[in-house]
Amino acid sequence: MSVTKTDLVDRYLYAVKFWLPTAQQEDILAELREDLLSHMEEREAALGHALDDDDIAGILRKRGSPAEVASGYLPERRLINPAVLPVYWLVLKIVLLWVLAPLFALVFLGPVLASAHPWETVLLCCNEYWRAAFMTVGMVTIGFVLLDRYQVQFQHAGRWDPRKLPRVPGSEDTGARWKHLTALVFSVVAAILWAHLLWQGAEFPFRGGMRLRLGPLWEPFYWPILGLAVADAFFDLLSFLRPGWARVRSRVRIGGNICWLAIAGVLLSAGGGGVAVGNLPAAELARTTAWFNFMIVNTVLGLAVVVIIDLINEARYLVRGARTTAAPIPSAMQH
Amino acid sequence: MHTNAAGSDVFDNLRLELRRGCLVVAVLAQPYAEHYGYALRKALEEQGLAIDENTLYPLLRRLESQGLLVSQWREEEKRNKRFYRLSPLGEEVLPNLLAEWRQMSVALERILGDRAVSSAPKSRTQSKENEQPCP
Repeated sequence: MSVTKTDLVDRYLYAVKFWLPTAQQEDILAELREDLLSHMEEREAALGHALDDDDIAGILRKRGSPAEVASGYLPERRLINPAVLPVYWLVLKIVLLWVLAPLFALVFLGPVLASAHPWETVLLCCNEYWRAAFMTVGMVTIGFVLLDRYQVQFQHAGRWDPRKLPRVPGSEDTGARWKHLTALVFSVVAAILWAHLLWQGAEFPFRGGMRLRLGPLWEPFYWPILGLAVADAFFDLLSFLRPGWARVRSRVRIGGNICWLAIAGVLLSAGGGGVAVGNLPAAELARTTAWFNFMIVNTVLGLAVVVIIDLINEARYLVRGARTTAAPIPSAMQH
Repeated sequence: MHTNAAGSDVFDNLRLELRRGCLVVAVLAQPYAEHYGYALRKALEEQGLAIDENTLYPLLRRLESQGLLVSQWREEEKRNKRFYRLSPLGEEVLPNLLAEWRQMSVALERILGDRAVSSAPKSRTQSKENEQPCP
């Protein structure tokens, strides 16, 4: 065996070794070496002379790059289980488009409107969004990798019931979809206005230096109200896009409505919690405060009525759905 | 053309999928007699089933890790070679696998009927290796 032949083969195998799993390196390389040498001997016999550098290089090149050869021996690796890939994409889509993007829009709307250089603020917002998006993608991916690593069973993987699948949206859902779209617009506008109000320090400035301010009573509810409004917007959007997911929507809306009613109860029992401040006579401030609280109470009452109606509707829908689900399957359909 | 290239890619992928299962059957069926890797490859090639080294050796290892083959290093012609043969589990599984293969083959022939004869394959992009049909 020529020195060149073993030298090139050794170099080739050494390069392959780099990519191989440590425990199997020697075993795999010994088998590869044997195969290469058998191949070269056969070639020499066919040609009738010893192989030169070019012949050997040609054989090794034909065999494939060291990384390519080693890749066949590596265990099949995947970052995320293909079975849960659709769920992964869905989660990413929801988090990036329907949670992170509206949240950034809300947070940056005030600064953009108030800034002397709005485009700079928009660029800053985009920059921050991409940073947050990269982090989010990483976190979601790590989450799914861990789920796969520890073999967490998804509901869809095993225990699922065809009767609990969302129903196919029918023509009667068209009206409901427009209802969800209207509710979505309302929720988004409410969330934007509320965020804007928070940005202004929970005050409504008026001419003459007078300001109507939401008093200390409101402070614990600043962020919960914003969170509820964003959540409402999200589920309205979900209901619009996926009208068949009605049961999920109903449960979430019932929970959200109960939260809204709890907040309304506190505000109503305290008589509104608003206050007028400014360089005005005390009597006028007191009169304005009373008027402001009257407006708050009426607005909250009106909203509470709407919320109660919605709560009853959703509860009725759920009860009706439960009865339908609990009904026995006709024997003819069981076959 | 773009469409032809895409069609060729699709064909190559389908062909790879089709061959994957066939190769397992062929490799398992061959080591009824003991073979080392190179000799096994030559034996398969002589019977019309060329198989790339980079496919064969990882496949042999996989089948061994699944308990279907057993291997042993032994000196032959002044060189150490790894000889493979069917394990007891392999001997148990192989007849079932072959029965399954024959059943599928018969069914496919029945499905294809005359079409298999009348529709000769048109020119395809030939890859560098493994052009033979399944056993």
